[in-house]
Amino acid sequence: MKALKLLSAAALGIAISAPALAAGYPEKPITVVVPFPAGGASDTTARVTTQKMQESLGQPIVVENKPGANGSLGAGQVAKAKPDGYTLIVGSIGVYAINPVLYKSLPYDPTKDFDLLTVAVRTPNVLVANPNFPANSVKELVEYLKKNPEKVTFASSGAGSSDHLTAALFWQKTGTTGVHVPYKGGAPAITDLIGGHADVSFQNLGAVSNHIKAGKLRLLAVTADKRNPAFPDAPTMKEAGVEGVEVYSWQAVAAPKGLPADVKGKLEQSLTAALNTPDVKGRFNDIGFEVVANTSGQFSEFLNQEISRWKTVVETGKITADQ
Amino acid sequence: MPHVLHKKDFWAGVLYIVFGAAAFWIGREYPMGTAGRMGAGYFPTILSVILMLIGLLSAARAFAQEGEAVGAIAWKPLAFVVGSTALFGLLLPSAGLVVALLVLILVSAAASQHFRFDPNAAAGLILLVAFCTLVFVKALGVPMPLVGSWFGE
Amino acid sequence: METLSNLWLGLETALTFWNLAYCMVGVLLGTAIGVLPGLGPTATIAMLLPVTFGLPPVSALIMLAGIYYGAQYGGSTTAILVNLPGESSSVVTALDGYQMARQGKAGRALATAAIGSFFAGTVATVLLAVFAPPLADLALQFGPAEYFSLMVLGLVASVVLAHGSLLHAFGMIILGLILGLIGTDVNSGTTRYTFGFPEIADGINFVVVAMGVFGLGEIIGNLANESTRTVMAKTVTGLMPTKDDMKQMAAPVLRGTVLGSMLGILPGGGAMLASFAAYTLEKKVSKHPERFGKGAIEGVAGPESANNAGAQTSFIPMLTLGIPSNPVMALMIGAMIMQGIQPGPSVMTEQPVLFWGLIVSMWIGNLFLLVLNLPLIGLWVRMISVPYHFLYPAILVFCAIGVFSLNNATFDVYLMAIFGFLGYIFRKLDCEPAPMLLGFILGPMMEEHLRRAMLISKGDATVFLSRPISATMLLLALILLATVLAPAVRQKREEAFQEEA
Repeated sequence: MKALKLLSAAALGIAISAPALAAGYPEKPITVVVPFPAGGASDTTARVTTQKMQESLGQPIVVENKPGANGSLGAGQVAKAKPDGYTLIVGSIGVYAINPVLYKSLPYDPTKDFDLLTVAVRTPNVLVANPNFPANSVKELVEYLKKNPEKVTFASSGAGSSDHLTAALFWQKTGTTGVHVPYKGGAPAITDLIGGHADVSFQNLGAVSNHIKAGKLRLLAVTADKRNPAFPDAPTMKEAGVEGVEVYSWQAVAAPKGLPADVKGKLEQSLTAALNTPDVKGRFNDIGFEVVANTSGQFSEFLNQEISRWKTVVETGKITADQ
Repeated sequence: MPHVLHKKDFWAGVLYIVFGAAAFWIGREYPMGTAGRMGAGYFPTILSVILMLIGLLSAARAFAQEGEAVGAIAWKPLAFVVGSTALFGLLLPSAGLVVALLVLILVSAAASQHFRFDPNAAAGLILLVAFCTLVFVKALGVPMPLVGSWFGE
Repeated sequence: METLSNLWLGLETALTFWNLAYCMVGVLLGTAIGVLPGLGPTATIAMLLPVTFGLPPVSALIMLAGIYYGAQYGGSTTAILVNLPGESSSVVTALDGYQMARQGKAGRALATAAIGSFFAGTVATVLLAVFAPPLADLALQFGPAEYFSLMVLGLVASVVLAHGSLLHAFGMIILGLILGLIGTDVNSGTTRYTFGFPEIADGINFVVVAMGVFGLGEIIGNLANESTRTVMAKTVTGLMPTKDDMKQMAAPVLRGTVLGSMLGILPGGGAMLASFAAYTLEKKVSKHPERFGKGAIEGVAGPESANNAGAQTSFIPMLTLGIPSNPVMALMIGAMIMQGIQPGPSVMTEQPVLFWGLIVSMWIGNLFLLVLNLPLIGLWVRMISVPYHFLYPAILVFCAIGVFSLNNATFDVYLMAIFGFLGYIFRKLDCEPAPMLLGFILGPMMEEHLRRAMLISKGDATVFLSRPISATMLLLALILLATVLAPAVRQKREEAFQEEA
């Protein structure tokens, strides 16, 4: 009798101490941390994707917004969370690739503290100008910049944002300079661009496509590797004569480092499946996003490339956002 | 030594000077920049100097003008209200919402002279905790643990 | 004519059974949540956003809009009853509204707010329907220089908020400006005054400061005087405004509506200034400015109308340009995107049903609010007759949970406790918190726009005078400052003369 009790206790112990047995995963609601306020690009990505994922995983997925410090507050918390598959993060290029090269002290290291799962979506940046700005093409802009150094204002969605760094990259590749005018987010930057208070800006295609269609902004080039179907007349940067300015804003999913292999597998599978359903794809396309849904290996290789590229840009341009 | 006639003005002046000096001291590390390209330190430096000047003016005025005394500080309500709020923050993740609420309500209520733990108060207490649980956690989905990490999952 | 057919389309959309229901639910939810201190419309809409995904786009937006203005209305209720402004706009309402409540006129204050809001909402909706596109273009004229001058005007106006010492009003404004600097500097990305806490890298939330200084400060102050005075008036005189009240509030409501509608259109923080501007205006035009801060009905009627008018017209840049004028509008844009609608100038032409349906629903929602809230006033008034020692722990609970829900962080709760301590000290020293709060809101925006304007003008400070809108506002600020200082200076001179004589 006593032996039986011991035996069952031992069996119970094994069952409890073996979380790797993910047959039951997920057994409770999963929390997806979005380190930005509700309504932004990361938030939209998380909500659209998880809505589909809950169907295949059979558990509710709760999106929790933990905004603060350019996303590093929420990312730091996820980095310290238990790697049991019940805490995930959906973050942007800023969280994964830019914060690490820009800030000296960061509460997380994206290459060491996360199990990278997949790059969910990406959207090209576009170079837009106020319609009254004298330059009609990238070539004209470069000439104008060379004639008027430190005169043209480049609006960005913040110091150290991906569009700020894209502008810096553009200056470095073309040998020009402009005045960087940071705003508090993309929306006010676009507003001032439409109002003619700033001259040009690199913005996410989705955020400005309607303004371009309405003639409120002039599209000079797409920073993608191919032309965008929505604007077939707009050249890519390469076609416009500027090499090496291919920049996407992307949103990716990760978990705290050390996920049990089968949990990771299950998550990857469910993520890719959800992202590839026509319904989800369609919704992302509507808002200018392109579904990537790559593997964790591809994500990690891509992340290393991105980090090293932005590191060069930041060092060459002597960009600081943290004194 | 002249008398401080207006105690409130005097201490308010001291308060401004303290805040101004602290802001100035911490802000001295931020780059000033120029008027055309202002640095992060430009605005804070100007503001903290102005605040210190206002503080000096207020403290100086206290010697010239008569005014009310500050009066006794109500230490008990101050400590209980501020303390219970801080305790709530401390207990929420570890002990969970229910315990944190009980502590917040009971400690803050104890600051009142009319505080008595009678059946009425107990009923109100239960009602309030139940209301918060239902509305905030269940209906609105505010991510607060009902039972914290101290008591297992 | 086109406007009429458009409005007809809007009516058809808004009056379907389900849309009416969603409007009603939104308004109800908004009011209920707005009444709970701390839980403002931004947090509420963020939390309810996922619920609306399953709805058709028009219904979703109608409901979210209902939550927005419902919460704004509910927020004034709390400000009046227990001196807890959950939002920048209700800080001003609390000034005179709470004094009215203490004098037993809570019902009349609430009814004034409801009627003023309804009138303002109606006018603003008409404005929205008729003039939306040209008004939006006007908003685009506002660049960094114009915004800076607007903020200067706002700051000068905030001196008028104080009814005590002028020197302290200035001191508290500057203190507020400095507190507002905490966080990341927009222009350089430097974090300032954060003491290494990433939690405040984006600045301290306004609600944390307001709840601490007003809410906790008020509770401590009341408890300190518990034995010497009753906290709430025992007798409640009339739930509805008297004929006299109506006469007194008519002009302020009108002025507030005009002022609020204009400021609401500006996406760079104009709506936030609406209620402050209205209060300043009322105090300036009043024959008895000394009554302000002591329960003047104009001090409730003007700002409440301005606030609601601004809330409605702040939809103009959102709907016509896709530009969010405040965090709530940003969430609405997020909701539209999730529904597959790309916000921007094309919404009006491509989604007329949504555009006009939403506009008409806003008027219906305002009507709901009035019908709903007038009968509720009796209930609210009875609520504050609950003994204070039962009431204040509950207020504290709602403050704590509300503040937590802002960022889902306990850090904000600690901060609120600190501001509660400061609030009590301020009160002991007769330093009024209202000007500080306005400084707190304006500080970061003012610096941001000033530096941006200087950056764009390449260091040329004359832009503020060479641009007509900016110059006009600076001139107004100067005139206002002169009228504020003149009485004080005159008084000093008279004192000096008397001493000489």
